[in-house]
Amino acid sequence: MIEVSGLVKDFGAHRVLDGIDLSVQRGEVIAMIGPSGSGKSTCLRCLNLLEAPSAGLLRVGDVTIDASRPVTRRQRLGFRRPLGMVFQSFNLFPHMTVLRNVSLAQERVLKRSRREADEISRQLLDRVGLGAKADQHPSRCSGGQQQRIAIARALALDPEVMLFDEPTSALDPELGLEVLNVMQELAAGGMTMIVVTHEMHFAESVSDRVLIMADGRIIEQGPSAEVMRNPQTERAQRFLSAVMNR
Amino acid sequence: MTAGFLAPILGGVIWTLALSAAALAVGMVLGALLCAMRVSGGAVLAALAAMLILIFRAVPPIVWLFLIYFGLGAGWLQIGAFEAAALGLGLITAANLAEIFRGALKAIHVGQWEAAQTLGLPQVSRLCDVIVPQMLRITLPSIVSYAIGLIKDTAIASTIGVPEIAFQASNVSQATFRGLESFAFAGLLYIGLSIPIAMASRRIDLRLRSKVAR
Ligand SMILES: Nc1ncnc2c1ncn2[C@@H]1O[C@H](COP(=O)(O)OP(=O)(O)OP(=O)(O)O)[C@@H](O)[C@H]1O
Ligand SMILES: [Mg+2]
Repeated sequence: MIEVSGLVKDFGAHRVLDGIDLSVQRGEVIAMIGPSGSGKSTCLRCLNLLEAPSAGLLRVGDVTIDASRPVTRRQRLGFRRPLGMVFQSFNLFPHMTVLRNVSLAQERVLKRSRREADEISRQLLDRVGLGAKADQHPSRCSGGQQQRIAIARALALDPEVMLFDEPTSALDPELGLEVLNVMQELAAGGMTMIVVTHEMHFAESVSDRVLIMADGRIIEQGPSAEVMRNPQTERAQRFLSAVMNR
Repeated sequence: MTAGFLAPILGGVIWTLALSAAALAVGMVLGALLCAMRVSGGAVLAALAAMLILIFRAVPPIVWLFLIYFGLGAGWLQIGAFEAAALGLGLITAANLAEIFRGALKAIHVGQWEAAQTLGLPQVSRLCDVIVPQMLRITLPSIVSYAIGLIKDTAIASTIGVPEIAFQASNVSQATFRGLESFAFAGLLYIGLSIPIAMASRRIDLRLRSKVAR
């Protein structure tokens, strides 16, 4: 489904991603963990071209992006089309109702009619437990609710892969749980997911595979339980023992 | 004593309002354009916009009006007093609004752009559905207070013969030798125009806020 090879990202003289290779199968749920500043967000942002990769090849479905060549607007749109993105800071549109937030892109991108889009939006909002919030503005919703709305908004475009960048980090543990439950349901429903997270429980028990990043590289990866319980590299052991003993 | 001699001044109100509205319209359009140039990412465009903004602001309004009406108007292009005043005041308004718009653009979290991008919204939709409505909300109080200032500034258009409030007041005072009454009445009219606008803006602002705030 996704194929990344030799992904490099430099910010000026600072090499933030130093050769990432990654392949993701359809239906796989991947947790990406690692110390702060290791490049997890940057990796995810390169994956949907919010950051322009400095080198490497990215493939999603049958669209390939070669960082050494200029990317046309069409390529960019085609590449992003199957990707849904959920941000740490939700980034809902504050001036629209919850329903509009979920419907807007359906109308503009998928050319659904307002009625059709709203109907699908209401189904999705019900699915994340927020049918009753449809006509409110996002500011009237708790953080956990906002994040679930953001998930519904991304799902409304029928993505094949969902990318999450620390979806629960801005939330109280209790509210985070609401969001994690929704994500767990998604995973169970067969959605392909890449989740940058500090939730070790999610990494261990929901994801199929864990990637540990440090200093712009993937230093360790494998089946979740194995990597989490029995890391091989010293750097990974150090990171895991630090987060587990917190 | 009858106040009937003041009636012509009342007739100036429509011109004052029309000129304010025209200058504001010119200013919004050109201001948005200047703002777009400044943030376009192109160094030449940005420098050009910065220079235009500086020039528009540095030259006093009355000089702009004379320059356009007597300068350009003298043979270069056929332009009436009203159009010249709308253009002159519009240029200054554009420069100020461009900076107000730019400030608002900075105040909009970059996540709004990123969300719009990752949703695959086309460029026009990103602007018209996501960014501009938020900008208008942020800038509404500044635009209104600028507009109120603009209503007063239109008085200088009397110097090139636009028959607005100040022009009429000046005429009446010269014809009747009752300067105090004439200009005091003009002053009251300006106050009368500003207050409802300020109140309306407050109400709109509060309504928008109550929707967005928690
Ligand atoms: N736009 C940018 N310009 C310059 N440097 C950046 C930029 N974005 C990120 N960096 C740098 O890249 C490095 C990796 O950042 P990134 O946000 O990917 O880390 P992360 O693993 O997501 O960390 P965290 O767990 O704190 O979110 C950091 O050193 C950061 O300072
Ligand atoms: Mg991060």
